[in-house]
Amino acid sequence: MSYFLRKLGFYVVALWAALTLNFAIPRLLPGNPVDILLAKLQQRGGSVTPETREAYALLLGGDDSQPLWNQYLSYLGNLFRGDLGVSVSYYPAKVSDVIMASLPWTVVLVGLSTVIAAVLGVLLGAFVGWRPGTWLDSLVPAGTLLAAVPYFWLALILAYLLARVLGWFPLQGGYDVVLDPGWNGEFILSAVQHGILPALTVVLASVGGWLLGMRNMMVSTLSEDYVLTAEAKGLSPLKILRSYASRNAVLPSVAGFAISLGFVVSGSVVTEQVFSYPGIGGRLLGAVTNNDYALMQGVFLFITLAVLGANLVVDLLYGLIDPRTRARS
Amino acid sequence: MLHKTRTRRRAAVLAGAAALGLLLTACSGSSGGGTGESSGGGGGDATLVAYTGQAGDYQINFNPFSPTRIGGLGTIYEPLFFLNKAEVGDPVPLLGTEQSWNEDGTVLTVTLREGVTWSDGEAFTADDVVFTFELLKSTPAINSIGFDADVAAVDDTHVTFTFGAPAFVKGPDVLNTPIVPEHLWKDVNPTEDVIEEPVGTGAYVLGDYKPQAFTYDANPDYWGGEPAVKHIRFLALSGNQAGADAIAAGTVDWQTGPIPDIQNTNKNFPSYDAYTQWQMQMVLATCSSAEMGCTGPQTDPAVRQALYYAIDRTQLNKLAFQETAGEMSPTFALTPSQDAFISDTVEEKTVPMTADPGKAAEILEAAGWQKGSDGIYAKDGERLSLTVEVVTGWTDYITALDAMASQAKAAGIDLQAAQSSWNEWTEKKTSGRFQLVIDSLGQGPAPDPYYLYNYYFSSASGAKVGETAGENFARYANPDVDAAIAELAKLPLDDSAARQQYFDTIQQAIVNEMPYIPVMTGGTTSIWNTAKFTGWPADDDLYAFPAVWSALDSAEIFKRLEPQG
Repeated sequence: MSYFLRKLGFYVVALWAALTLNFAIPRLLPGNPVDILLAKLQQRGGSVTPETREAYALLLGGDDSQPLWNQYLSYLGNLFRGDLGVSVSYYPAKVSDVIMASLPWTVVLVGLSTVIAAVLGVLLGAFVGWRPGTWLDSLVPAGTLLAAVPYFWLALILAYLLARVLGWFPLQGGYDVVLDPGWNGEFILSAVQHGILPALTVVLASVGGWLLGMRNMMVSTLSEDYVLTAEAKGLSPLKILRSYASRNAVLPSVAGFAISLGFVVSGSVVTEQVFSYPGIGGRLLGAVTNNDYALMQGVFLFITLAVLGANLVVDLLYGLIDPRTRARS
Repeated sequence: MLHKTRTRRRAAVLAGAAALGLLLTACSGSSGGGTGESSGGGGGDATLVAYTGQAGDYQINFNPFSPTRIGGLGTIYEPLFFLNKAEVGDPVPLLGTEQSWNEDGTVLTVTLREGVTWSDGEAFTADDVVFTFELLKSTPAINSIGFDADVAAVDDTHVTFTFGAPAFVKGPDVLNTPIVPEHLWKDVNPTEDVIEEPVGTGAYVLGDYKPQAFTYDANPDYWGGEPAVKHIRFLALSGNQAGADAIAAGTVDWQTGPIPDIQNTNKNFPSYDAYTQWQMQMVLATCSSAEMGCTGPQTDPAVRQALYYAIDRTQLNKLAFQETAGEMSPTFALTPSQDAFISDTVEEKTVPMTADPGKAAEILEAAGWQKGSDGIYAKDGERLSLTVEVVTGWTDYITALDAMASQAKAAGIDLQAAQSSWNEWTEKKTSGRFQLVIDSLGQGPAPDPYYLYNYYFSSASGAKVGETAGENFARYANPDVDAAIAELAKLPLDDSAARQQYFDTIQQAIVNEMPYIPVMTGGTTSIWNTAKFTGWPADDDLYAFPAVWSALDSAEIFKRLEPQG
């Protein structure tokens, strides 16, 4: 049991450190929200007088006068109450509302495509590794090539070919905006139709990594004595592939999968840019450029929690599926 | 709004994206890429789809006083008058029909339109106007125009604004203020309420809202008659590149922002046309005043003058701005629409379009600079080397600076570009820790150069280096200019005879001292669907400034459009 307690203790410390960094880093950014808002208004030909500055400073409240230490304590306090504050760039919306409006899009799109990529990659990898040296091996360089191409470029090419030239998929957006989002068939169909192309790019770009990792683990696992023993026992090749080789070879991939799940929240910035897909990435980008501390902290908090949470689950799971990791406990 | 909100700039286009954009354009023949955007069929009930450059999803906010509003101004909440910044002319009546000042400029009387109703059926009265301005006065956080007059309803259709001092120049701000209904807004918190169900007098009412798009529906009871375009949908896309793609795919009918190969828009996309107007005057702003704490060679006016003559603007326009930039007057009166304001004493009415290194050398040598062995001027051991701050991703400005650097080199000036993030750039600008900044100067609430002079050249909005400056980030300070600006505030905007002497003073000073080195007037280009809609602004009928993100202007344009076929 102490294995799990030690793990939990570690995660509490990691969480505190992450929260503190989360507080500090946005404040190192130059500029302040009011100046940036005014500069933006001016770029768009708005008249920006000293009166305008005064009004917006009052409106958006720069209580920078508070000592940093107080800000830090009230930040931690508010977090525990679940209060993430008010977004400046979407004033007066609450940060939690802003994030909650975008989060489902990201979780569904990037989450699903990450799962698909991992499952597909691992299955293919196991199969390719099972027969090393055959033509199947050519899947490996093909997959890594796709992973090596810069993601935005791959996404743009696919968008151009499949959406513009062939017209198989919609080019932009998360759904046909004429429809009302909700649990109705028409909307879901439209959302699925809009989601396939972005998901396809994510899968293509990441499947190579999974494939390569799994394939190499398979090759080295196959040379283990217990596989030889299993063969000597006369077990069917399929059973060896399933129960002996794959199960051992898949362990590093499980750990990798947990980490990539954690990055689902943050990993969608480029996808959203290319496909104008709704989601959290655009919000994060906006928050950073507008010096919207509260929104930045909110999004970072979600990323932190997702990464830590996913790691915790895998750590705990690992203890179950791989007894060697808790050998010393 | 994400960092690429600067609509006029090309978004921080990844190099590849730009290349692909060209590719998309080249292959536009195979258009109609089967998008799910059913933007409404043709015919009388067409929906106009607009894209403002908004990056990322919308967050609902139809409060016309909120800086983070996504819409409602002009289309739903109308002001008293519409001031067309694209042309010098009389205010266009909206909720007001007539406006006049008393002799000394302390009382503004506005006659209101009769028979106007709010979209919930209540009648619009003078009390609503009084309420709106009282609300501004009692809520400093939304009083962005610094309104401080006493407002009173004389009768049902007349309202007076009484100022403590001559306030002719404050008139346009008053006339531009959106009027809100008292019967609903008396219970509203104007700073924190996002007004999910806006009720106004305008030609449109809010149809539906989603974070990815919202729709205006025509107001059948509009006092000016129901507009011909029945629905207007504003889309949220990821930025300018996405906007250009949407034009290529035919899913957006009006966007204001650059697309690849903009000069051939009509050839590449036969249903569309590009139209450019010029308002944002591009400058190399200098930290100009050594007294205010600026350091570097640019504190010498001769250096600024020399740089002014060293720039080959024709080449810049070709290389960096897709030939969309326009002429500019060194007096900062918009040319040609405000030519009448330009002083006769100013020799060059517009900036030179080609480089004149000879003249630059003459100016520098007269000021004691001498050419060093490396071909760069120097004075008292200080090399004539200048750094220009620019924002990463402002690709047109970065290209322009590259070209300017080689042009300046030919004139013996070493010009270096330093890229930084939008936030850092803003910080440098407001704190004064820069030598040169490439930026553009905007217009005021009315087509009158007074506002630009007051914002950018008045020492009241300057500050010492290290302190936060207002719009006068060049930290220009000239008592004569300050005095002339103060005198102008006391004169009616249409009394050109009395005002011209003060304009002369200001223009002579700023042309000589050049705290902002004029480059060109940046073009604001709209791409619009001329096959589906007609009635867009044109050179012979420039009834509004054509920019979809300029809310009051686009509201006027929506009212004038007619669906086709």
